[in-house]
Amino acid sequence: MSAGAGGHAGAANRIITRGFDGRWDQLEEMKLPDAAAVLVRDNHDAARAVWAAATADSEVLVASRTRVTPDLADDLRAAGLAVVDGDDVTPPTTERDATPGRVWLLTSGSTGRPKQVAHTLASLTTVAGDQPRRTWLCPYAHGAYAWWQVVTLSIAHPGQDVLFIEPDELDTWPARALEVGVTAASGTPTFWRQALYRDPESVAALPLEQVTLGGEPVDQAILTRLTEMFPKARVSWIYASSEAGATIAVHDGRAGFPEQWLGRETEGRATLTIDDGELLIASPKRGEGIDKVLRTGDHVEVVDGRVLITGRIASDEINVGGAKASASAVRDVLQAHPAVAWASVRGRKAPIVGSIVTAEVVLSGEATDAELTAWCAARLPDYSVPRRVRFLDQIPIKETLKSDV
Amino acid sequence: MSALSRDAIRTMMAEVLQAQGKSMPADDSANLEEIGFRSLDFSELALRVEDEIGDELNFDAPELRQIATISDVLDFLEQLQAA
Repeated sequence: MSAGAGGHAGAANRIITRGFDGRWDQLEEMKLPDAAAVLVRDNHDAARAVWAAATADSEVLVASRTRVTPDLADDLRAAGLAVVDGDDVTPPTTERDATPGRVWLLTSGSTGRPKQVAHTLASLTTVAGDQPRRTWLCPYAHGAYAWWQVVTLSIAHPGQDVLFIEPDELDTWPARALEVGVTAASGTPTFWRQALYRDPESVAALPLEQVTLGGEPVDQAILTRLTEMFPKARVSWIYASSEAGATIAVHDGRAGFPEQWLGRETEGRATLTIDDGELLIASPKRGEGIDKVLRTGDHVEVVDGRVLITGRIASDEINVGGAKASASAVRDVLQAHPAVAWASVRGRKAPIVGSIVTAEVVLSGEATDAELTAWCAARLPDYSVPRRVRFLDQIPIKETLKSDV
Repeated sequence: MSALSRDAIRTMMAEVLQAQGKSMPADDSANLEEIGFRSLDFSELALRVEDEIGDELNFDAPELRQIATISDVLDFLEQLQAA
């Protein structure tokens, strides 16, 4: 394996963004301060920022301009980063030496204001060894952990080309991916559900060898659908977060991971345990300063020898008159219905029982409110059966490619 | 949006029961326990009313009382809308 510019073996890989089609080392130079938070408009900006930082071994944070509020920009400056927005450079308010190779990520902010987590290109590069030649689709939000996963793969490994998709191209990406020759694609379950709902024929036409899911709980229904659509592809799901890093990769097309993985200690790999229904992770790929054993806040259940990650503990439980309904369990039952393309489940404040289970559903076939209720009633305790079902015309998707968080 | 009539609430109550595979008797003095109209059903009915009138019902407003019959349910929801 030969190293390219700055020692990066993927320097000659092709990357395609809106407005650019060339190699990493052909990107127009971006001059950055030694420690910079770069607010990007699109993936072209983002790729230039990454390449500039990677080749100069400087300190960088990449984020969409839309994510960085004035308060957050002040926080970043106080943390010693110059804020770069186009040609405007606002100096840091705290002077300090830059840390070469430092990469900052913003957490998803689902529990409040985004926090910064420290990584390096090396800690973000979780794929090792020779990789088959692939052209990846990267639909993730600029600077998100999953986005960096695809980016570092492409920078570190020859033969890993990338087609970047902007948020406003989420409706039309299959045609572009076919044109470019995408053979591997990574997205959230919501991303895949939306793609299969909108344009299943175009998605099915893609010559995919690798299909990856992550960022949200991955249920069996979506894995089965993708496995059937792409029988020759490896269908994988990844558990990763800015804090823990990429810690679980499952390639057998099944939801959850084998129970035998719990407590296993293997050099270079995460150790997974469960405490009171919560997944705990000790990961060598975790961000700096993150607890060695991280409480993930994700709820897990062991079912038939598989450990299923069902959703966030904080938002999963719906108290229906003292009985505990699980929003994720109800969502999974709805999404397993053959006519349901997507579902979201919440509690709604209600008299007498405190809250009742409600659902929003997008259909891909024919089903009535009563049929969905009957489907759930046959599979769930009565207090978990959605009492109000709202039908939506399309799958809501955020810039994070998630719907619930 | 204006308040729902007693008849409209009655129709909604029948729909809630029907969704549970039960039927609504013609006699409003029918006992809720006997027809299988439970607290979850009552909650659902209240939310249906809220959705229809586009406003939240204030359950703290009226005095709590025994709700044992279909008539009690209809009285209560009528009163809530006026509160």
